[in-house]
Amino acid sequence: MALIHVPRPENAWNPNRPVNALLKSQIVHLHEAELKLPLRLQTDIYINAIKTEGEAADYVRQVTEAIHAAHQAATAKRARSRVRRTSKVKTKKKGPSKPRRET
Amino acid sequence: MPPGLDNLRHIVVLMMENRSFDHMLGSLTAVNPQIDGVTNQLSNPDTTGALVKPQALAEFQGQLDPDPDHHFPAVDLQIFGGDTSPNRVANMQGFVKSYFNQQKDVGHSQKIMYYFAQNQLPVLTTLALEFAVFNRWFASIPGPTICNRAFAHYGTSFGRVDMNLLYVNEPFKSIYDRLINATPKHTSKLYYYDTASSTMEITNLLQNQPELFGTYPQFLDDCKTGNLPDYSFVEPNYSDHDSDDGEEVASDQHPDHNVQAGEMFIASVYKAIKQNANLWQSTALLVVYDEHGGIYDHVAPPACTPDQFQASPNNTGTGMPFAFDRLGVRVPAVLISPWIPKGTIVNRVFDHASIPGTVTKFLLGDYSPRSPRETSADVFIEPNVAPVDPARNLLSLDTMRTDCPDFDM
Repeated sequence: MALIHVPRPENAWNPNRPVNALLKSQIVHLHEAELKLPLRLQTDIYINAIKTEGEAADYVRQVTEAIHAAHQAATAKRARSRVRRTSKVKTKKKGPSKPRRET
Repeated sequence: MPPGLDNLRHIVVLMMENRSFDHMLGSLTAVNPQIDGVTNQLSNPDTTGALVKPQALAEFQGQLDPDPDHHFPAVDLQIFGGDTSPNRVANMQGFVKSYFNQQKDVGHSQKIMYYFAQNQLPVLTTLALEFAVFNRWFASIPGPTICNRAFAHYGTSFGRVDMNLLYVNEPFKSIYDRLINATPKHTSKLYYYDTASSTMEITNLLQNQPELFGTYPQFLDDCKTGNLPDYSFVEPNYSDHDSDDGEEVASDQHPDHNVQAGEMFIASVYKAIKQNANLWQSTALLVVYDEHGGIYDHVAPPACTPDQFQASPNNTGTGMPFAFDRLGVRVPAVLISPWIPKGTIVNRVFDHASIPGTVTKFLLGDYSPRSPRETSADVFIEPNVAPVDPARNLLSLDTMRTDCPDFDM
């Protein structure tokens, strides 16, 4: 079984590299998605001012996490309302409630 | 039934960025002439009329800056050499001319012909020589990333030839939707590198179905714990950025990102699968590039079944409509499994529509509706239903190989 050595790149990391066309496009797509998020989850980043890969990554991270957070919040809300509906149904099944004592 | 297909439970696709077949694997013709790479007969004219030959002078970073143009009009020039006549024939003679247009520097424009020597890419070339390398895997569209990646997810780009937002038109569902809504249900995930790199499939999938996504550390963990879905799509890191783990170097190989970082990433995906013995024997991994990134390749893209969409002359930017009736430029593609004979070379024609096509046929069988492009695309894994044609089955060994390579990183 051959063991192949894979060389590590040297001095490759450069977060100040200007964003390429692919990242620009990704930012535009994420911005479209961001505008549909609840206001509290939107960033205050002006995307036209994003010039470097590091800045792009920061924006991409914030919006990606916000999208996940928005969906998780919606799922949790849905689950809570399902629990409330279920418990109301269960209460009803217990039969008629006792008549109130007249005071 | 062939044991390789009987054992197959997981299909993993790793899609890298913007490198052509000749650029990455062209050197392998010298090792095995059956691999259709670079020869001394190939050339492209530069803007002075001088012929420029491919040379093994590619560098890992810093050479293809600015990023070679790979939008529809530029790729049209690259493929047809500037001929816009109605009966033109693809000649692959416009790569140097196209790159010249960006800097007006004759010397610099010639670098588009450079390719990597075999020993510069120990991971990709080893995998290509050890498993199945595709001589005719083409990008789905002679255009950029987003529309090409759409073919890998949906089997169509819904008429787009560009990077603009995709508006998915019913009825063609993503491969992920098809799988998770099937009966019996299948599992499927897209793994992006981390949230700072995220995905290129934002408009339709991330913002509507974020539950489909996982991160690369999750992929590694799923491999380790044996929880890999039936179908996984892995995306590399698209940017240099900071993370809690330190400096993250872009691993997508998109020019001008470091090609060695991409090599390490490919090796890491392979290693994660191979380290779990159960997973290794039950997984097929496809490493493929989304498009050629404007870099030279010598094989003229063939015609294909037209899609049901048409891009207008305005959208193509060439003054001509496009009926999705021919493929994009050839890209590297390697299929990996211990059931594949060493040194397999595949000469059938594939494109990214083959990805949902293969996964659908293998895991779901008959499924409709699918786009005309997808239904006519060839499959790289045969459906495991009798009879399996041995001439087409790539996972054809009777016993699993024990001589597969390992990578030391």
